[in-house]
Amino acid sequence: MTLQAESQPSDGAPPAGPQTGGPRPLGEVALSFENISMQFPDGTQALEDVSLTIRQNEFVSVVGPSGCGKSTLLKIASGLFPQTSGIVKVDREQLGYTFQDATLMPWRKVRGNVELLMELRGYSKAERKRIALEQIKMVGLDGFADHYPKRLSGGMRMRASLARSLALKPNVFMFDEPFGALDEITRERLNDELVSLFMRNSFTGLFITHSIPEAVYLSSKVVVMSRRPGRILKEFDIPFAYPRDPNLRFSAEFAALCNEISVSLRQAIEQ
Amino acid sequence: MTQAPAPKLTDHQPVPVSAPSGALKNLMLLLVPPIILFSMFLILYAMVRANLQEHRQFLMPSGAELWANAFGRPEVLAELAQRSLITIGIALTGLSISIPVGILLGVIMFRATILERAMFPNLVALQSIPTLAIIPLIQTALGFGTLPKVLIVAKFTMFAIPITLLLGLKSVDRGIINLFRLQGASWRTTLVKACFPSAAPALFAGLRIAASLAVISAIVSELFFLAGRGGLGQMIINSKIDFKYEQMYAALITATFLSVCVYIAFTWLGHRLFSDWHESGGKEN
Repeated sequence: MTLQAESQPSDGAPPAGPQTGGPRPLGEVALSFENISMQFPDGTQALEDVSLTIRQNEFVSVVGPSGCGKSTLLKIASGLFPQTSGIVKVDREQLGYTFQDATLMPWRKVRGNVELLMELRGYSKAERKRIALEQIKMVGLDGFADHYPKRLSGGMRMRASLARSLALKPNVFMFDEPFGALDEITRERLNDELVSLFMRNSFTGLFITHSIPEAVYLSSKVVVMSRRPGRILKEFDIPFAYPRDPNLRFSAEFAALCNEISVSLRQAIEQ
Repeated sequence: MTQAPAPKLTDHQPVPVSAPSGALKNLMLLLVPPIILFSMFLILYAMVRANLQEHRQFLMPSGAELWANAFGRPEVLAELAQRSLITIGIALTGLSISIPVGILLGVIMFRATILERAMFPNLVALQSIPTLAIIPLIQTALGFGTLPKVLIVAKFTMFAIPITLLLGLKSVDRGIINLFRLQGASWRTTLVKACFPSAAPALFAGLRIAASLAVISAIVSELFFLAGRGGLGQMIINSKIDFKYEQMYAALITATFLSVCVYIAFTWLGHRLFSDWHESGGKEN
């Protein structure tokens, strides 16, 4: 994968690639939520009539107040929770999922952890090893394949967790606040690297976060959700071209957009 | 307005960090404190003995007497070795029953809450039956051979295993379970690849408890099943009958030593298996 030129789509995947000067071309619908409502058995209404369509090669971030049901949305998409009503359209065989914690198995070394999902899918041993080492290199953990998770920093554990999901070459990749527990510097670095992974692997992204700058920096679209019960209040198209320049964070347009989303989020909380 | 009193500042000097200690020093730190404490017990023993009336001092033999009548005599040493083998054989055979059965029970209870609810109180009840009280029944039913002794060891050592295993199995990281669920992994795959490794350190805590009980319960069982050539338990009874208290002490000391050895063996094995990744392991970071 690392040898691949940045503009080349990966094998067999729909056309994807960085286009300088405009948003990436959008493909077919990759994931759609149609009028999703979710009520937990204890009566908590988590989501109310949420509709959201994500196309191939889009990277959508969802921001919203704590407890508004953002994570629930991902759990519904993956099938961990069944929704109360509404329909989810997604190919669950092609789904990648990164949790809030790295959720590495402490008794396995980095390589063993990265191999896990392939193992569960029945890949051969040799293939697992090859892909795992490739992914470990891609996420910048070269040389740490034989380390146990307890010897890694928080950022490195998250990289290992990303590599584990990437190994299956997911078509839709869902992230549940993966960098929330990391310090700002590590988080920004991982954001940069996530953008380049996004460029190279041509997946469709659905990213949950509390951080507006992170959402804007990563995404082609940012969705603001309301307080519980979560509804979609507003969608913002992010016009910046991929690959994104780290200095984008300091530009006036970036700040203006963050500000606009921030205002909308504040309304969501006060509403 | 009253002014806040000036803060009292104290100089805090850097604290010198002690140099990393060598292997020898570590070993000393490991061995010396328990040896000192043990020596204190010996002194206490000697003091109690010194205060006994002379005709009762045979109850607490001195070191010299122990040597002269037990540890210094080759035939006693040979007997100790031979009987130790018998006792340790009973203890390990008992464990070889209780460990797989205990693990199986733990897994069954983990399979479904309803099974746990059904089995847990019964396990506690089983554990609560005083073994001594059912020994007459066992004698009648199973005779005086090796089997009843092994079963008594198994009954003594089994309880801790399913309890600790179940606790470990239930403490698996939910996120890891979700990963398996998302890939559609079966319950068996999840058990083998996620739950068991995660529960292994807890299970080993239970195995250590079981191991330390195994030798003791083997001796207890021997006290009640005195047929044939028995182990250390039989030696304890025989030396009492023959009024050879030094040999009785020798058997006791040997039994304690064996018990500690079994415990250390399991602790060492657990350390070997988990120290690389588990928080309880000795290796820092």
